[in-house]
Amino acid sequence: MAHAPAVVHSGRHQTSTGTDNRKLLMWMFLGSECLFFGSLIASYLIFKNDVIARGVGPFAHLVVIGGEEQHGVLDIPLTSVSTFVLLMSSVTMVFAVYGAQQRLPKMMKLALLATIILGIGFLGFQVFEFRTFGAEGLNLGTNLFGATFFVLTGFHGTHVGIGVLYLACLLAGSFRRTGLGPEAGHHVEIAGLYWHFVDIVWIVIFTIIYLIPG
Amino acid sequence: MAHSSGHEAEQHGLQPRQYLLIGLALTLITLVELWVSYSGMPYGLLVGTLMILSAVKFVVVVAYFMHLRFESSLMTKLFAGSFVLAALIMFALLALFWGDLATGIRANRIPPGETAPPPASAPAKAH
Repeated sequence: MAHAPAVVHSGRHQTSTGTDNRKLLMWMFLGSECLFFGSLIASYLIFKNDVIARGVGPFAHLVVIGGEEQHGVLDIPLTSVSTFVLLMSSVTMVFAVYGAQQRLPKMMKLALLATIILGIGFLGFQVFEFRTFGAEGLNLGTNLFGATFFVLTGFHGTHVGIGVLYLACLLAGSFRRTGLGPEAGHHVEIAGLYWHFVDIVWIVIFTIIYLIPG
Repeated sequence: MAHSSGHEAEQHGLQPRQYLLIGLALTLITLVELWVSYSGMPYGLLVGTLMILSAVKFVVVVAYFMHLRFESSLMTKLFAGSFVLAALIMFALLALFWGDLATGIRANRIPPGETAPPPASAPAKAH
């Protein structure tokens, strides 16, 4: 694949590792987040079937209990749309990073704004889903499936919310007279790492919770 | 292609058109995942296929959107190490509680006409 033109950052921090400490710190943080979400996903996998073993719903997917079909609460088509929204937010985020690194402030601002809107859209889907589940009698205290599901997806949603605020701060900063300063590319790139991580966590959650039945 | 210097790494990336193509590929993989989940294929094959497709999406986002392919190998080692550690913790937890997991899976496979095991306890009251 072709490479983009060279980018020059002024005021770079020279470090003994040869990499920027702020970026290194973000990667370390994302590494710790892998452990955090890994534990939550394992908890969900362990406890989600408890509700089936007890024969008491609401259930995640369609199950057959005693010869009778019990419907699942998870709405896969709806969640597929919200997954698409989050995937597209990753595309707009990478455009924002490109715009910041290539010193194209208009492109960066528009892409940041699009990412924020898509992030809010994803959160809207999640709020709708949570409210629907609540109407069906599933909430944090209903059973172990509900507890682990809401903790896992709730923490992910919180991360998306924090990401939206992070990007909104960057966008607001870009409207100052000096913009984001000479290291705009760096600031937006580090925010992009966080945003893309939130996306890859959802890629795993979508497959494990929604697509794999039982 | 990993580079030894972070300074060099920052001078690499893809063009917007290529990012769009990657976004399109990720969308297509998601559609295939959706089709697979409704295809009615055997459970083991379904789980395996979905996990592979999910892993492909994961790697593509990390490599190209997060630019790890163009970063210093230190970043790759750091993230890959954390990911492997997280996977080991997951496997350890699943192994520890395998009994509960297997009970649930067996209960989920009760054929029509057979009776499910009686509830072990009364359902918790919904708030």
